[in-house]
Amino acid sequence: MKFSKNVVCNLVIILSVGLFNGHVFAQSSSVKNVARAMQANTQQPPALIDPNIERREIDESDIDTEDVEIGIFAGFISIEDFESSEVVGVSLAYHINENLFLEARYAQATAGQTSFEKLSGGAPFLTEEERDYTYYNLSLGYNINGETFFTDNLVFNSDVYFTLGAGSTEFGGDERFTISAGAGYRLLFTDFWALKVDVRDHVFTSDIIGVEKDVHNFAITLSTTFFF
Amino acid sequence: MKFNLHFLFVIIIASAFFSFSVKADDLVVSVVEPYVDFRTGPASEYPIFHVAEQGESITILKKKTGWYKAITYKGQEGWVSAEQLGKTFKPSGEQLYVPTGSFEDYTNRTFEFSAFGGILESVTAMSVAAAWNVTGNLVVEGTYTQALGDFSENKLWSIRLQHHTFPEWKVSPYLTIGAGGINTRPRSNLVQSGDEIRKSDFYEVGAGLRYYFARNMVVKFEYRHIIALTDRDDQERIEEFKLGFSVFF
Repeated sequence: MKFSKNVVCNLVIILSVGLFNGHVFAQSSSVKNVARAMQANTQQPPALIDPNIERREIDESDIDTEDVEIGIFAGFISIEDFESSEVVGVSLAYHINENLFLEARYAQATAGQTSFEKLSGGAPFLTEEERDYTYYNLSLGYNINGETFFTDNLVFNSDVYFTLGAGSTEFGGDERFTISAGAGYRLLFTDFWALKVDVRDHVFTSDIIGVEKDVHNFAITLSTTFFF
Repeated sequence: MKFNLHFLFVIIIASAFFSFSVKADDLVVSVVEPYVDFRTGPASEYPIFHVAEQGESITILKKKTGWYKAITYKGQEGWVSAEQLGKTFKPSGEQLYVPTGSFEDYTNRTFEFSAFGGILESVTAMSVAAAWNVTGNLVVEGTYTQALGDFSENKLWSIRLQHHTFPEWKVSPYLTIGAGGINTRPRSNLVQSGDEIRKSDFYEVGAGLRYYFARNMVVKFEYRHIIALTDRDDQERIEEFKLGFSVFF
């Protein structure tokens, strides 16, 4: 039940995103209409005196910048020794230039049981609360820009990116310094709406099951992001 | 899983409204150089598919990093570089000002955001900082540092003042002074009696070096000496070295 509830929530989110973009397509086509109207105007001889012209003061600061990318994501994370679970989170990125970006991520998951806990039927290692797995990280990413051709005429800008970052993971009652590294693919449906697939490894030192070791927690996630 | 869905919806709706509200009147500029390249995407890797000629007017729609989306009167939409757009003229006859993230733009910055990795008393630490450039020389900064060691989790925040003596130098030293707080929590496997969080105030002094590295980016190296005012008889002295980078607005 828990999982199906998540799926429903994710679907609702994706639907709402889709609806929002319907407006946007309408808006971008209206800009084209304005441009066409402007073209039509230039073909007519201009009136010598037009007293109705108002001088509009528009300057550089009015240009809409879209350097910030905000998003939500969902997917699966494999928590070493503790099964794999669904993970959901939010991300915020700032694009420094066409190649580099800085991204902060926050995500939550709930860890399962170790095989020892399951097979022995003994006392659990962790309390329910300690099984909450939350992490955040700050990464520097590098975009390799490109285009994706679905057909000859259906082309979207896209990029493959690599990220390297650091952050912390709260799990088993402790917070641990975590290094994360990964790669992803970003498909830009419009200038400001993208879909991303991301694979990331999160490494930290853990002694939850007794011996201290480096654990690798891989996450694969699907995100939808907006630029503004 | 106790994820707050309301929070998600607020984010989506806020972002949607935000992108609607920033839509302003369009800015029209005229090309004075022989031509302006139109690319299919906002990066130099994308192919040029159109050129706007001298004397043509183009409408600027939006900006993404160093690239501007423009539309010609004939309806051709593409991305123009900041360098090329900076040579166009506004209807008033003035040259368009386009920030390119140059060193000059850096010295005129208002806000700066930094991320650091470093060592705080032999523990790996990471920090973030947001700074406001008050004058060219004085900068007010808020910082947050997290050092998760084998024996304890340390979290530090501080408000501080930076003095850049020679802000016009590309490699420029600065001094810092500030005050803040530190929270220390021993590892859960070391303490059985629950959370034993220690909180102390501290003062800090430090010095740093910043280097304008690339477009929109600055590299920083910093040292700070922290004097924590603990409840015990001795004051605790902590040293931190860190290396990081900043972006500016």
